Amino acid sequence: MKNRGILLAYFFLSQTLAFGQTFLSGKVLDEKGKPLPGVNVLIKGSFDGTSSDASGGFKFETNESGERILAFSMMGFKTQEISVILSNSTLAIDPIQLYEEFNELNTVTISAGAMEASDEKKSVILRPLDIVTTPSAMGDIVGAFQTLPGTSTVGNDGRLFVRGGDASEVGIYIDGMRVGNAYGTTAANVPTRTRFNPNLFKGTFFSTGGYSAEYGQALSSALALNTKDLAIRSQGDLSIMSVGGGYAQTLANGKRSISISGNVFDLKPYQGLVKQSFDWERAPHGLDLEIAAQAKLNKGGLLKVLARTETGGMKIWQPQPGLDGRGILVDLTNSYSYAQTNWRKAYDNGWSLFSGVSVSHNKDQYNLDGVDLERRNNLTHLKFNTIKDFGERLSMKTGVEYFIHSYSERVIEEELDRTFGENEAYLFTEWDWYLSRKFVLRGGLRAGHSQLAGEQWLDPRTSLAYKISDYGTLALAAGRFHQLPVDNFRVLNQKLKNTESKHLILNYLFQKEGRTFRAETFYKSYEDLIRFEGYPQAPQNLRNEGSGFAKGFDVFVRDQKSIKNTDFWVTYSFVDSERSYNHYETQVQPDFAPRHNFSVVAKHFIVPLKSQLGASYSINDGYTYTDPNRPGELNAKTSAFQNLSLSWSYLPKPNLIIHAAVTNVLGTENIFGYSYARTPNEQGQFESLPLGQSAPRFLFVGVFLTLSKDKNANQLNNL
Amino acid sequence: MKKLSTTFVLAIAFIFSAFCADPAFENAMKKELAAMNQIQTAEESQAVINGFLRISEAKTEEWLPLYYAAYVQINTAFRFEGNKDQLFDQAMELVNKAEKIAPNNSEITALKGYAMMGKLSVDPMNRGQEMSPLAMQTFGKAIALDKENPRATMLMAQMELGMAQFFGSGPEKACGLARNAIALYSTEEGKVDENYLLPTWGKNQAEQVADKCK
Repeated sequence: MKNRGILLAYFFLSQTLAFGQTFLSGKVLDEKGKPLPGVNVLIKGSFDGTSSDASGGFKFETNESGERILAFSMMGFKTQEISVILSNSTLAIDPIQLYEEFNELNTVTISAGAMEASDEKKSVILRPLDIVTTPSAMGDIVGAFQTLPGTSTVGNDGRLFVRGGDASEVGIYIDGMRVGNAYGTTAANVPTRTRFNPNLFKGTFFSTGGYSAEYGQALSSALALNTKDLAIRSQGDLSIMSVGGGYAQTLANGKRSISISGNVFDLKPYQGLVKQSFDWERAPHGLDLEIAAQAKLNKGGLLKVLARTETGGMKIWQPQPGLDGRGILVDLTNSYSYAQTNWRKAYDNGWSLFSGVSVSHNKDQYNLDGVDLERRNNLTHLKFNTIKDFGERLSMKTGVEYFIHSYSERVIEEELDRTFGENEAYLFTEWDWYLSRKFVLRGGLRAGHSQLAGEQWLDPRTSLAYKISDYGTLALAAGRFHQLPVDNFRVLNQKLKNTESKHLILNYLFQKEGRTFRAETFYKSYEDLIRFEGYPQAPQNLRNEGSGFAKGFDVFVRDQKSIKNTDFWVTYSFVDSERSYNHYETQVQPDFAPRHNFSVVAKHFIVPLKSQLGASYSINDGYTYTDPNRPGELNAKTSAFQNLSLSWSYLPKPNLIIHAAVTNVLGTENIFGYSYARTPNEQGQFESLPLGQSAPRFLFVGVFLTLSKDKNANQLNNL
Repeated sequence: MKKLSTTFVLAIAFIFSAFCADPAFENAMKKELAAMNQIQTAEESQAVINGFLRISEAKTEEWLPLYYAAYVQINTAFRFEGNKDQLFDQAMELVNKAEKIAPNNSEITALKGYAMMGKLSVDPMNRGQEMSPLAMQTFGKAIALDKENPRATMLMAQMELGMAQFFGSGPEKACGLARNAIALYSTEEGKVDENYLLPTWGKNQAEQVADKCK
């Protein structure tokens, strides 16, 4: 009996909790007051709880008693907690509202002027892979951006021209650090390429105006390239191409990775097979060596190093109008090095720090018709910035930058030289304020000081974006931008001041599951542009006197969904631009700013053939040029430029890619302008020569093989 | 004598409660595991995920409830309509939380790879390049952490099959892995009893892959 009593007591004790049950019920609503199903309702510190049903309602019973915390949680929403007293009865809770957290998917982003290429973010226009698979780009980053709104293709230059601005108005950055001489040095009328291989980068940010206070010394555009993080596996990549070859070895151990690559390119064998329109004495050739290393540090943080050195050259006969014979021989040798290191770390308390150093060194040696010339450019960039999130509604980015810049030009035999040295300092701060998930305001200031120009300046920038529907955003950006004149002008007149531009941009972006529509209109003013007398090769009386404007709109449509395995984008940009600059006496439409620019890129994957076919087509309405036989400046226009390029990528095995591409399939005879004799001939006419293409077509074939333990690895990013 | 037997019963009862450190935890887990196997709709799925998350809230030192919440979330994303990217991202968040509690756990690592496979499946054309080696590497790590984990091998087999189909090569390698996984599942079945809470899922998936070579 006694024992039974103990047993009973044990079971009684273990069952006590069954007594005193409380029944809870209530309703969960979203911020608009609509029922919110699937919310986790629980009593903290117990297993008791339930989920809200389709009408937002919930009810459950609990054995807990006394004062407890009732929590309402759902991923993506802010958790709500209320205190309840559980007292063996029924408890009806007043309706609870949950608010969505700010995240990338539901919060507006500023889209004015900006186009991102990234795999990570939502508001992307192009993915990194798109850059390498755009047929007309031939693997050049800038080539792919020339199919985006706001840009013009200038086929005999190759650089990026944005909205009536010249190529020097685009600032190029790698991991936030400025790159000096980002394009290869070339002879007049021979198009250049970006020096850096697209496979270095995980994403790019391309702005056609109104950009962040983080960027300066660029009147038109900022192109920010972000390098890849830690490589995940060790591998070797071998490439054999119609224009050269290379090998890259990557070593990775999970905490650190390093890739070392060497490439050689030489157009000589290709030009031996395919007839060229240009009169080459020695085809363009080059060698490069590149190291990229990444390390995760023990205390968090990522350290990156990128270093590249290259050398190359070409010899070309350039015919002169009005003269017989091969013309002038231009012999060019270039050597270039770029090195940078940067460190970034995000702390748990909302602070992130970044610091970096970059050094660019460029040396060009020319022999122009027997005269030896040398040009050197050195740029060092130091940068430190910090980002702080004050809760989810306010964030700040503030930084300081310092540039050390030197430039020299020499005529070797006559021991003539001219140089300048420059130090620039900048401070910038930018604040993003989210008034709601739909509305963001950004304000920024950038202050600069140039020692050489003896000038201080302040650039305010502002933008705002409003999400007008689930998929549509309206954005506005405005700002002032300063840029010091190009080196070869500054070296002649060291007192030249900043040139200036103001931007106003209105943007509409619609993005929904594989479809993008983007429309943007802009107005840009130019002041204090450089003017001079004489010829561009020998300018005199350089001064900040020019002015101008650019206005227009562009439209971009991309669709990856409507046609299976097909992705295409269509771009139209209209630019109305006039400026007084260089030796022009009146405001004229610049020769690098066609009014109408249209392009289409389409890619189609054929699964049974294991192939991707690509096509791109660009057309514009021609380039202005000055015909001295008629009155006026930039008084004539070339016929329309057009280019149809096709490509074929074949993956017979996971680690092998064969890629072939041909530009200007139709063989259009594109003319980019005319060069005229400086003096008239006996008939009183100025004789001319057209500035055309180096060859009607360019054909590329490459084989890319990846060697690693993982047989499925390949080199798609190298195309 | 009677006294002795009562003491004995009490002792057993005590030992039993001490053995399964927390019967309330076990019971709650069993209840959700039973519900997990009955899921028919996205709503039921959410209820089960919430159930596991409630357990995890109460027992913050346990990785299993987070593991199962993530597992159900991944399955929900694969099975039902919805914003798949967001669902897989949320699953990944849960996996990462579980990983903080139990680092270098083969099951969690395999599940992480499964979530990556999910992200990859949303946009294979654009993400395949970057993500498939990452997923393969994660499965490789899960196998290295525990060679007996059948799910790590099975998921690796699924990944191999996907790649083989994409590149039009034969499924032999995938089938071989799947057969290994099936053998591991048999070994695992020997350990399972009614109180077994650790993951046991995936045998059907292994069999499906193995069937490709028949």
